[in-house]
Amino acid sequence: MRVGRAEIEKALSKPSPFGVDIDVSKYVVEEPSVEEFKALELEESVRRASTRLGFNGIRPSYIQVDQTALYTLLEKRLRGYGVTVIPLRIALEKTDLARRIAWRLVDPRNDKYTALAYLKGGELGYFIYVPPNVKVDIPIYTCLVLKLERRAQLAHNVVYVDEGSEAHVVTGCAVPHGVREGLHVGITEFYVSKGARLTFSMIHAWSPGVHVRPRTAVYVEEGGEYVGYYITYNPLQSIQMYPVTSLQARAKAYSASVIVGLGSGDYDVGAKIVLEGSGASGEVVSRTLGLDESRITARAEIVGRARDSRGHIECLGLLVSEKSSITAHPQIKSENPGSTLSHEAAIGRISREELEYLMSRGFTEDEAKSIIVRGFMKVDVPGLPEVVRRHVDRIVGTISKLAMG
Amino acid sequence: MSLLSLEAVSVCVDDRVIVRDVSLNINPGELHVIMGPNGAGKSTLLAAIMGLSHVRVCGGRILFSGVDITHFPSYERAKLGISLAHQVTPTFRGVRFLEVANAISSRFNTDWRTLASLLKVEDLLLRDLFSGFSGGERKRAELYLALLQNPRVALLDEPDSGVDIDTLRVLAELIDYIVFTQGTSVILVTHLGPILEKLPRITRAHIMVEGAIVYSGDPSHVIPVILKHGYTRGLEVFGGEGG
Repeated sequence: MRVGRAEIEKALSKPSPFGVDIDVSKYVVEEPSVEEFKALELEESVRRASTRLGFNGIRPSYIQVDQTALYTLLEKRLRGYGVTVIPLRIALEKTDLARRIAWRLVDPRNDKYTALAYLKGGELGYFIYVPPNVKVDIPIYTCLVLKLERRAQLAHNVVYVDEGSEAHVVTGCAVPHGVREGLHVGITEFYVSKGARLTFSMIHAWSPGVHVRPRTAVYVEEGGEYVGYYITYNPLQSIQMYPVTSLQARAKAYSASVIVGLGSGDYDVGAKIVLEGSGASGEVVSRTLGLDESRITARAEIVGRARDSRGHIECLGLLVSEKSSITAHPQIKSENPGSTLSHEAAIGRISREELEYLMSRGFTEDEAKSIIVRGFMKVDVPGLPEVVRRHVDRIVGTISKLAMG
Repeated sequence: MSLLSLEAVSVCVDDRVIVRDVSLNINPGELHVIMGPNGAGKSTLLAAIMGLSHVRVCGGRILFSGVDITHFPSYERAKLGISLAHQVTPTFRGVRFLEVANAISSRFNTDWRTLASLLKVEDLLLRDLFSGFSGGERKRAELYLALLQNPRVALLDEPDSGVDIDTLRVLAELIDYIVFTQGTSVILVTHLGPILEKLPRITRAHIMVEGAIVYSGDPSHVIPVILKHGYTRGLEVFGGEGG
């Protein structure tokens, strides 16, 4: 995307069509910097934040603390696959590929958050490149931490999985306990080449007072596959995200969002898949749990533009608190008679009959609630590596306890 | 001492008495069949033994291994070894069958795989529990979860209604196996004949009408008469025999 700076500056006042509008001028953007680090040098607050994500014992290949990018030498096995993980800022200096593809999928003029990241982010964030025809079976972990009060963290991530390859990226975003106010903007652009496969898991552990605006776009070439999994299970002030995935011929995408609405948080989360090529197929799944006074909006859209393409949306919500609300907006749009699209949406509560049934199977009322919540939030995401699946299962276990109060 | 004893048990739903003065004694490894027309109170009686909260024991008492469990909550009774295959099951939207099966098998330390294969529910395990299940699938799934508790007493509420002939044979073989090989006691409620014809070793048959057990006797004597004449005429045939 090559556009004039003036146009982008104009977008600094452009609100997003969805979600709560944030006055971004309230937040300080630190001067961006890049440093190499050794895992042992990580300060305690950053360690605590990564523990909240369940990243205990995991050594991320990239960490960004506020506006400082910390990167490390890749672990030996990742190096062996020829994988590159470096700050985007360095990648833009050193590689043509990064320069060629950055800001091609996300237009910085989209809204004030993309404009802010473009103008003031200093191109911090990670750049991951996976060479052709390698199956990277160990997940690539990255971690973004917002440590200081009233700061805006701006990250721009670019991931390119070359032809015939497979990779699994896990990004955790968190604050240590005690951070009361902040803004996190994360721009992510994924390129999945012909016949390649990428799973991306995003785990969030924010705190009340933090606004979160991820901006993600995915481009999947012919026969490629993208699996996105998003989970948030700690309080926050607001989040709004609506990643868009474009699928070429016979490409597949699966997007799952697991949202636990807590406190007085405002959650506007969804996904859009565009079936551009023949034989493309996509599925958007969301599970929302309304606790406390949270307000949740679950959006999903699939656009069918090609013959023999298929899409399905499933938005399910469970309202636990009477002060919470869940709204679902599943939308399907066909622009080709050969595209088959469907959707289902349901919002309910834990029924007395379900509880009574499980109690007759030997569980107390609290245990019965926990089984229902755990089962409800556990989405069977295809193709997640076992280690990531276990990680996610542990988080879902935590969620079922949260629902008990 | 019987494993399960009902001593003049009456059961109320709201303020209405649905079951009156029922007394039963079930020993380990016995198969009892309760037959009766629709609305006789059979399901209400099983619900009371299980301790479901929509029914209330309003007379008599229930003993399990000599312990008075009349006022125990259902989960305590389940832990003691009582399990109910419900006639009507709720639909769990968004909760997979396997999740619930896993939770029960961990609680009761049982193996979910073998039984799943026996009751042919493997293909259902990844679906939402009871969501979109056919009548037969629902019955097999429900019996599966009830038996996954490895109960000492299994209360089976019409497991045979709406199932095909092949499933019926599997159900009958399974019931016969758990009673006479594993030593589980079973109270089977039914108002259909076919499953009874496939159960060669029933310990005792009870006829329930309008909330009361009006006749109990040898199944080889009772069942053919009821299947031939129905309840009204059948009871006349038994006349004043007493059970």
